[in-house]
Amino acid sequence: MFKTTFIGAAVAAIAATGALAQDFPQRPVQVVVPYSAGGSTDLSMRVVADAFERIFDDSTMVVRNQPGGGGAIGSSAAVNARADGYTLGAGAQGPLVIKPLIGGNDYQLDDVEFIGLYARSLQVMVACADAPFSDYDSFIDYAGENAPQVGNSGAGGANQISAEAFAAAADISIESVPFNGSSEARTACIGGHIDAMVASPAEAKSASDAGQMTPLFVMEDERIDLFPDTPTAVEKGVDFTWSSWKGLIGPKGMDEATLTWLRDAVEQIATDEQFRETLTDMGEFVTFEDGEAFEARARRDMETSRTVLENLGMLGMNN
Amino acid sequence: MDSIAFLTPLLDLQVLLTIAAGTLGGLVIGALPGLTATMGVALLIPLTFGMTPVMGLNMLIGIYIGGIYGGCVSSILLRTPGTPASAATVLDGYPMAQKGEAGKALGMATIASTVGGLIAAIVLATLAPQLAGIALEFGAPEYFALALFGLTIIASLSGDLLKGAISGLLGILISTVGADPISGVMRYTFGIQGFASGFSFTPALIGLFALSEVFTQMERIAAKEEPIKSVSGRWPSRGELKASRGALVRGSIIGTLIGIVPGTGSGTASWISYNETRRASKTPEKFGTGYAPGIAATESANNAVCASALIPLLALGIPGDVVTAVLMGGLLIQGLAPGPMLFQTNPDVVVGMFGGTFIATIFMFIFGMALIPLFSRILMIPRRLLAMSIVVFCFIGSFSINLNPVDLYTMVGFGVLGWGMQKFGFSQAALCIALILGPLLESNLRRGLLQNDDNVLAFISTPITLLFLALTVLSAGWPFLSRAIQRRRAAQNI
Repeated sequence: MFKTTFIGAAVAAIAATGALAQDFPQRPVQVVVPYSAGGSTDLSMRVVADAFERIFDDSTMVVRNQPGGGGAIGSSAAVNARADGYTLGAGAQGPLVIKPLIGGNDYQLDDVEFIGLYARSLQVMVACADAPFSDYDSFIDYAGENAPQVGNSGAGGANQISAEAFAAAADISIESVPFNGSSEARTACIGGHIDAMVASPAEAKSASDAGQMTPLFVMEDERIDLFPDTPTAVEKGVDFTWSSWKGLIGPKGMDEATLTWLRDAVEQIATDEQFRETLTDMGEFVTFEDGEAFEARARRDMETSRTVLENLGMLGMNN
Repeated sequence: MDSIAFLTPLLDLQVLLTIAAGTLGGLVIGALPGLTATMGVALLIPLTFGMTPVMGLNMLIGIYIGGIYGGCVSSILLRTPGTPASAATVLDGYPMAQKGEAGKALGMATIASTVGGLIAAIVLATLAPQLAGIALEFGAPEYFALALFGLTIIASLSGDLLKGAISGLLGILISTVGADPISGVMRYTFGIQGFASGFSFTPALIGLFALSEVFTQMERIAAKEEPIKSVSGRWPSRGELKASRGALVRGSIIGTLIGIVPGTGSGTASWISYNETRRASKTPEKFGTGYAPGIAATESANNAVCASALIPLLALGIPGDVVTAVLMGGLLIQGLAPGPMLFQTNPDVVVGMFGGTFIATIFMFIFGMALIPLFSRILMIPRRLLAMSIVVFCFIGSFSINLNPVDLYTMVGFGVLGWGMQKFGFSQAALCIALILGPLLESNLRRGLLQNDDNVLAFISTPITLLFLALTVLSAGWPFLSRAIQRRRAAQNI
């Protein structure tokens, strides 16, 4: 009796997954990462692909790197792909909300289908070697009179926008110094050639342990575990938070069933214990936001960026 | 010291086999045009998820070392730089292969890569913390001065100074296409999104050297030339080795030093080494005609960069070149944050990586030497077939880098340009150097001005900038100086 029930349940379970497997996906799902292999967006997407294949038997996810144009080329490929759910993209802040404002790309935020967000990359403003300030208050004091040189990973990138947006919110002035990628900015920071930069908690942690950088403040609502002694801008009375995203996007126009399946898949991956562990080890803040919340976040970031770019005279610069 | 104890995990058979597999895989990846060492390391990082740090990281180091070495194979045999690091090897490697000495050329390259790799590995293992400080001294003015010095190679590399200068300036002009490094404004992209980052470097190189050569050969095929019959052995003669001794040492030292400076890398190192070796040589006119020391200079330099680029990565947590930047990702996944703390928290990993660098270099030598007869047999293929397969490789290689169709146009465009330049005696090498150094020069000039309120004096204010600027003047003036000295000597002899 027990045996039959068990078998019955097993058959039902197999049938259920079988039915799902018949609809989608029937062939490998391709995810376009708009950056070179080896960066944090790429590596985290590879961990996603790993979890995807582990959780959904017989499904394959292939990561395809299509770098160039600050992420615009790969994002364009994902957004303009055939809307069958087999070509998706890594949703990155710079190419999706900032590029369309600067111009020169062939898609808008409205063309993007947000599937789900599985992690956020938190941001910490750090003081570099030999900087004339070492905590939030002295940074603000210094910036009241001089414009500290703040390095970023590229002109018009998310990094520059977040630093400038903070400066506007805190009513200080900074001088943005663009570098070719975050590792160049980091080198200049450790060498003392710039005053400050925006870093990820993981790199800020190892560098501050070694005395190469000093964390100034965290761009979150609340203090984070990695830096219990570092204040947030919010608690210092500046209404400013910023983090970049790790999520999955696709082209608009996918059919309802496919989209639901994919949204559900992101949720399952983001809540998977092994996945959370691996990604946390890499320094990401694992969290889950469904498509709607993800899109709302993107639109909020876009409004912040619009104001910043307008002040910098970069709005529609490349149109 | 427990250092020796930390080396024992390396002697584990499984670890050794993993390093060997990494090195061999890297060698093949490097030899295939368009597949670079960077790509090889990046794509295999997920494989290291389940490995111990020492095993996984050393496999990646093996790919890196094998990949940079492997680039010389296609440079020498097909005039197609397998990786940008081997572009300078084309100058002497390809003529040597055309003379029927392909085996010897590959042998010389293997020996040079090994010597360069080992010397740099010794420096890495002994002086890493002390030398790493150099990396921190380089701000925008220093990079600018280094790039300017690098550009003077053009003056001595091209026989006709005027044509060399035109090629170089054309290269700098071409390198301005794409987003402005400081303001982000698009330049010369004509609204084509695919050019937003400028012309991709590897497709441009493949077109410039490989496709242009196919065009040139197509002109010759009508002349019914015999295919190369002899590919000779693999060991350079004693005389050639002796002549290359200076080149090996110079290349290794230059490669080690350039490798420590972040953001430069093996392409820059091999060009500077080639130029310095040629200048120091008693017979500079032999360079470019298939002269073994030319290969020794470039290959020892680019493999020395591999080990020395690890110096700032391990000692400071800042990557020395693009591949080590990717390697840093591999370290982070293992839960290891590269930086000064790593020496204290995980000395086993640091020492294990030092050891792995040696082992991978030795594997590279063994595999390289063993595979030479196989590689050089490629030249026995009838020219028509070979030329057509190179064309296929040009396209596959250019596309596989970024999967960007625009790169194919870039490759073909540069192929036509390279063919024209060759035909009218303009130096393709000068254009290549300018493509490497142009962006470094421009962005650091602009960044330096931005950081110093447009004060030009900042560019001559530190010892390092002064050193490089002095070298620049010396290097640019050298052709005139040496001609004057020769004339004087000639006058005295009469």
